[in-house]
Amino acid sequence: MHLKKELNKNKTVFVEKWFQATIDTYPAQTAKILGKDSNRFDNPIGSVTRESIENVFNLILKDYTQQTLEKELDPIIRIRAVQSFSASEAVSFVFALKEIGEKIIDASLIRKFDKLVDNIALAAFDKFMKCREEIFLLKATESKRRIHRAFERAGLVTELTEEDLIGSKKS
Amino acid sequence: MSDELKPDELLDKIDFAPQKGAESDSVSGNWMNTSVQIRPGMYCYAAKAESVETLGLPNARPWNPLEDDWKLPDNWQEIIFNGLKERLEKFRTFKIFMDICVRCGACADKCHFFLGTGDPKNMPVLRAELLRSVYRNDFSTAGKILKKIPGGQALAGARPMTMDVLKEWWYYFFQCTECRRCSVFCPYGIDTAEITIMAREIFNLLGLNIDWIATPVSNCFKTGNHLGIQPHAFKDMLEFFVEDIEDVTGVDCTPQFQKKGADILFITPSGDVFADPGTYTCEGYMILFKYLKDKYGLDVTWSTYASEGGNFGFFTSHETMKRLNAKMYAEAKRLGVKWILGGECGHMWRVIHQYMDTMNGPADFMEEPVNPITGTKFENAKSTKMVHISEFTADLIKHGKLELDKSRNSNRIMTFHDSCNPSRGMGILDEPRYIIKNVCDHFYEMPPNTIREQTFCCGSGAGLNAGENMELRMAGALPRANAVKYVHEKFGVNTLGTICAIDRAALPTMCEYWVPEVEVYGITELVGNALILPGEKKRVEDLRFEPLPGCEEEVEEDE
Repeated sequence: MHLKKELNKNKTVFVEKWFQATIDTYPAQTAKILGKDSNRFDNPIGSVTRESIENVFNLILKDYTQQTLEKELDPIIRIRAVQSFSASEAVSFVFALKEIGEKIIDASLIRKFDKLVDNIALAAFDKFMKCREEIFLLKATESKRRIHRAFERAGLVTELTEEDLIGSKKS
Repeated sequence: MSDELKPDELLDKIDFAPQKGAESDSVSGNWMNTSVQIRPGMYCYAAKAESVETLGLPNARPWNPLEDDWKLPDNWQEIIFNGLKERLEKFRTFKIFMDICVRCGACADKCHFFLGTGDPKNMPVLRAELLRSVYRNDFSTAGKILKKIPGGQALAGARPMTMDVLKEWWYYFFQCTECRRCSVFCPYGIDTAEITIMAREIFNLLGLNIDWIATPVSNCFKTGNHLGIQPHAFKDMLEFFVEDIEDVTGVDCTPQFQKKGADILFITPSGDVFADPGTYTCEGYMILFKYLKDKYGLDVTWSTYASEGGNFGFFTSHETMKRLNAKMYAEAKRLGVKWILGGECGHMWRVIHQYMDTMNGPADFMEEPVNPITGTKFENAKSTKMVHISEFTADLIKHGKLELDKSRNSNRIMTFHDSCNPSRGMGILDEPRYIIKNVCDHFYEMPPNTIREQTFCCGSGAGLNAGENMELRMAGALPRANAVKYVHEKFGVNTLGTICAIDRAALPTMCEYWVPEVEVYGITELVGNALILPGEKKRVEDLRFEPLPGCEEEVEEDE
C-alpha cells in the first residue's frame, strides 16, 4: 500500500481534522470564532490557517523539499510567531497530524507517516526561528533607522550610509 | 456572530483553556479568575520618572511592569475609586457605556487586536468588561445589592479591585489603539475607545503611563513637539529638505517661519519632519506651498513653536491633551493668520475635529476657512478654523488649479489605507482617493470590509508604536496586512498610500514582515512628485531619489 495514495484518499478528513486541531490550540472561545467559515478578511487567522494547512497537505502528496515545505508553512507560522505561543506550542499543531493519522492510516504505513510528519515539524521549527529572527531584526532596524537618521542630519556621520548600516537585513 | 454566541456564553463562560495542544494547567476556567501574564513583546516600557514629572503628574518613579511591586501609593484603590467616580459624573457617555452594553457580541470579532492575537480579552466587549466588572461591584445599585447575597457577585458580573485586576487593565488597555472599529458595529454605539481613554486617565492618576506616550508628551510640553526638537533644529531640517527638493526639481522651495500676517498657518506632525518616509511627504507640502505662492500668491507660514500637529496628551488625559493643543490657536492668534491648515496625521485630527473648539476655542479671531484660490468654503471647519491638507488639495485639483504630470507616479500601483481617525473620526474618505486618482495612474481598493468606515487599524496607534512591543504591533496589523497582501497578489499593488504620520512610521515595518514587496507613501509626497513647478528643470528622479519611470538610464548615466 502506498502512503501518498492513502493520504490522497483521505485528504478531506485529514485537512478538516488538522485544521480543527490547529485552531483548538487557541482558547476555546477564540477557536469557535476562528473555525467559522467566514470572509477571509473578517477572519484572517482562521482563513490563513485553513489555506496554509490545505497547501501543506497538497504538497506532501507530491514531491516536496524542506524549502517547499517552509514556503507553504510560512503564512501559518508567521502568524503564530507573533502570538502568545511558546516555540513548542507554536509548532505543536504539526504533531496533531500523528494522532489524526493513527486513526485513519493503515498500521503498516504508520512509521513512514510519522517520518513525514517529523519532516513537516522540522520545517516548521526552521520557519518559526526565521520569523522570530525577522521580528528581532525589525526591532533593531527601526531603532537603527531612527537614531542614524538623526546623526546623519546633524552631520555626525558621513561615511556610513543608512543602507550600509541596515544592510545585514538582506543577507 | 451574534446569532452564534449567547450573551452569557460570551462572557461568563469564556474558557481560557485550549482544547488541545498545550497541556498546561495554569490557564483554565472563567476569564475573571484568569490572572494576567504580562508577556515581553506585547507591552511597552514604563514611563520614565522625569517625563511624568514634567507635567506634574502623580507618582513619578522608576518602575517595571514585569516586577511584582509597581510602587503604587498605599491608597491606590481609593484613588481608582475616586477617579472612576469623578469621571462617571463628569462624562455622561462613560456612565452610559458602563450601563448599556447587553453583551450581544457584535463587536467581539471586529477588533484587529483580537483578530491578530486570538486573545479573548481583546474582544472589545471583554476588554470593556474588565473595567465594567469593577464598576458593577462599586457603583451600580444592582451590583451593590447582589454582592450581599452568596454567589450574587458572580451573578452581577462583578469583582473587587485587586492588584491582579489593575495589572490586567494595564495590559489590555494598552492593547487598544482607540481606533473605534468596534463601535461601528455596536448597535448601541458604545465607543470602546472612550472606555480605553478613561482607563488610561486612571492609570495616569497612579503614574502608570507607558514611556512611548509619556516622553513625547513631556517633550511636546517643553519644546513644542513630540521628538523634543528645538526651534533651530526644526528649521535646519526643513532647510535640508530645501536642498533635496532643489536637487530633484531645480527650484528653491524655502519655507517661511512665524510670518505675521500670513494667510495660512501650517501645522503638521513632527514625524513628517524627522521620520522617513514622512519626510518625503513633508517635502511634498513644501513643493505645494511654493507652487501656490508662485501661481496664486498664497502666503503660508510654518511655526517652530506650533511645531507638532500630533497630540499624545490625547492618550494620557483630557487635561494633558488640552495643554498640548493650546499652542495651535495661540500661535494662530499671535501671527494673525486667517485660518490653519493641517498636515497628514491621524489622531491629530480627532483632537482638532472633536475637542479643540470647545477645549481651547472659540477661535473667533480667525475667519471661517475659505480657499482663496477656488472660493470654496470649508463648511465642516467653520468652527475649528482648521482644514485638512487632503480637503484643500482635492479642492484645488477639482477646480483645475494644479498642473500635474501623473506619469511621474506611473510606477506606483496604489492602494489606500484609511487611517482610523480621519476616516471614522471625521469622515475624510473620498478626498485622498480623489487626489490619488489625479496624481497616479493605477489605483486598486482593498476589500470593502477593510476600508473606509470599516478600515483596520495599523496596530500601532494611540501611542503603541514602540519597538519593544513588536509582536503586539505585528499581530495587530495582521488584518490590515492580510488585505494589503491580497491586492498585492491580485493586482500587483506595490504602494500603500496613507494620510497619517503614525501609519507612515508603522506600516513600513508591517509591510516588511507581512508583505515585503509593498512600500508606504504619503499622499502629498505623490502630489509633490506630480506637481509641475514653475521654472522647474527636467525631473528624472522622484523625491526619494529613485529614477522616474522612463528615466532609469538617464539617472544611471549621471551617476
